[in-house]
Amino acid sequence: MSFLFNLLKGAFLRMLQLIWFGKRKISNSLSIYVKTNTGNTLSIDLDPKWDIRNLKEIVGPQLGISPEDIKIIFAGKELHNSTIIEECDLGQQSILHAIKLPPGKNRLNRKKDTKNLIEESIDEGSEANESGSKPLNETLIDLPLEDSDRHENHSEQEQQQARAHFYVYCSLPCKSVEAGKLRVRCATCGSGAVTVDRDPQCWPDVQQPRRITVHCENHDCQTLLSSLAQKDEGTPQVRYAQFYFKCANHVSLGEKDEAVPLYLIKPNLRNVPCLACTDTRDTVLVFPCEAGHVTCLDCFRDYCVARLRDRQFEFDDNHGYYTLPCPAGCQNSHISEVHHFRLLSPEQYEQYQRFGTEEYVLRAGGLLCPRPDCGMGIIPPDQTDEERSRSPDEDDCRRIQCIGGCGYVFCRRCLQGFHVGECDSQQPTTYSSTSAVSCLSGYAIDPLRASEAKWDEASKKTIQISTKPCPKCRTPTERDGGCMHMVCTRAGCSFQWCWVCQTEWTRDCMGSHWFG
Amino acid sequence: MANIAAQRIKREFKEVIKSEEVAKCAIKVELVNDSFTELKGEIAGPPDTPYEGGNFVLEIKVPETYPFNPPKVRFITKIWHPNISSVTGAICLDILKDQWAAAMTLRTVLLSLQALLSAAEPDDPQDAVVAKQYKEQPEMFRQTAKHWTSVYAGGPAKMSDLDDKIRRLTDMGIEEHNARVALSSYNWDLERATEQLFMTVMAKN
Ligand SMILES: [Zn+2]
Ligand SMILES: [Zn+2]
Ligand SMILES: [Zn+2]
Ligand SMILES: [Zn+2]
Ligand SMILES: [Zn+2]
Ligand SMILES: [Zn+2]
Ligand SMILES: [Zn+2]
Ligand SMILES: [Zn+2]
Repeated sequence: MSFLFNLLKGAFLRMLQLIWFGKRKISNSLSIYVKTNTGNTLSIDLDPKWDIRNLKEIVGPQLGISPEDIKIIFAGKELHNSTIIEECDLGQQSILHAIKLPPGKNRLNRKKDTKNLIEESIDEGSEANESGSKPLNETLIDLPLEDSDRHENHSEQEQQQARAHFYVYCSLPCKSVEAGKLRVRCATCGSGAVTVDRDPQCWPDVQQPRRITVHCENHDCQTLLSSLAQKDEGTPQVRYAQFYFKCANHVSLGEKDEAVPLYLIKPNLRNVPCLACTDTRDTVLVFPCEAGHVTCLDCFRDYCVARLRDRQFEFDDNHGYYTLPCPAGCQNSHISEVHHFRLLSPEQYEQYQRFGTEEYVLRAGGLLCPRPDCGMGIIPPDQTDEERSRSPDEDDCRRIQCIGGCGYVFCRRCLQGFHVGECDSQQPTTYSSTSAVSCLSGYAIDPLRASEAKWDEASKKTIQISTKPCPKCRTPTERDGGCMHMVCTRAGCSFQWCWVCQTEWTRDCMGSHWFG
Repeated sequence: MANIAAQRIKREFKEVIKSEEVAKCAIKVELVNDSFTELKGEIAGPPDTPYEGGNFVLEIKVPETYPFNPPKVRFITKIWHPNISSVTGAICLDILKDQWAAAMTLRTVLLSLQALLSAAEPDDPQDAVVAKQYKEQPEMFRQTAKHWTSVYAGGPAKMSDLDDKIRRLTDMGIEEHNARVALSSYNWDLERATEQLFMTVMAKN
């Protein structure tokens, strides 16, 4: 009887829905998909003000299941009947999972924490034994970077304030830094019809595998797990969560639509002022140093641009990332998720990538094409020791062609156009790489400025007058007065040299011509 | 100038003005222009040093990339110190170079410079002549530094014997500062200073 009633109620709600949409297109209507564990997918239009019970009443009849026998799973949580749809952080085209409960099991609550029990008994005493909980976005608190900083026993109010906000880099279609949503699936079968056994409490919980177990509703999962277990004895018999992120700015493009989490960007819950401008902003970047130094996003951009201009990004030797440390100069503070540099403009990011590639080439023993508009990284073919010892100065070994770039043929030693015989004694001028400072007033060439500078004779002359190459890495260095003590700022070089002697800086240099 | 640099300097400026060091007249900053790109700093010579009683004026230039790059600082007041150029006032302090960090401020820079006046680092000399004297003839160094402080930084000491030697040279038509540099560099040996000065004049002609 009640089934019939529900069927009617469902039909009524659907009609209501139709009328609603027919009359005045509800601007905030939500189109979602409901996937079942039996392989069906329904497309449903919802009013975000509805609760999960309303949803069950619409879905039930279409699936031929009584609404009480359905549980709705989203983002790793079984949603409680009284949960309002708009609280769930659902986007357009999001996928909810509707699971038919086995007969007689629907009132047995699985792993329910007491807090939810209490809430329910207050909210709706009549349905105290109903299962489900609040959606993940409502319960998840801001994740600390380290395991050890886990939040313990947050009060309800603290939890509200500390609610997690995520930022992601969306490569498609937004191509920008956006708000992100945390989602979860079964690590064994990839199904989203899972409920997590606990909320993640720190970034390692989210990023590392096998930290949080799930209950997977996918029927095929058990078969998959047993077949895996047969192949490899070590396969655990429990299922683990696999967390991933979605961009909140665009309509979901399906289950494969993911975004990169920028986990150093956080809401400024502790109201920490920016290290650089001292403003207290809502969104900040927290460096992975022990002190957790904070900059606002504007200052982070400025910091990157300042370092980029001087080519002072560094290779993090542990991981090989071309990156930056904390601007307060802390140890072990390199940013290892380089997508954070997506906060830069597209042009700046492109420059970052280009410099990164070039530095990589230089580190691999290669060199850069000296043509100002090219700068292509070239790794010359390996010379055998025998070849080198036989003809160390042979013209062939000095002849480098920019293959894959502009095709320029040049002399390896002087970086001028290729020539036979001795190099012209004049100093080489290369625009392709930059930087170094005199201890007081030298400054690096702005690569942008340099590449904009056209290869006409006038600019060539002025630059030759005021720049000299680092004697070690040949990076051109500009000097605007001050002392003669130069320190090459190209990451990985740091050669200390004398502007006058163009050799390593010595005590003699200090004594005889420190100031020119 | 980038907004961030200006904004940050404005705050630091206020921080210095309100600091207890300013109250004790140990450090001071003034604006040179409205855009906060250039400031004038001042530090008092620390007690129990040859710089005591002197006031040393600094030129502070704030780069557009501040605070991610250090300010450019030099002494305007002439000073006799192994780590500061007696010619240009250039300083080669590590925190003004590669050891700079965005968490440092104008106040920390001024205090570090003051500390440098208290404790020179002759093993990392920026003025080799001064450094040699500092190591080999400490008393001579102290006298010279005190003399420079009194002449250029308003220090109290009057050293008539040194003044006499300078007058001997100025009477010969040598410019006073050049005379002082030559004498200071040759440990106040009048003969050698004279010799050096006239060699230079001859070479110039
Ligand atoms: Zn997007
Ligand atoms: Zn599964
Ligand atoms: Zn800031
Ligand atoms: Zn730090
Ligand atoms: Zn090329
Ligand atoms: Zn050549
Ligand atoms: Zn170099
Ligand atoms: Zn030299």
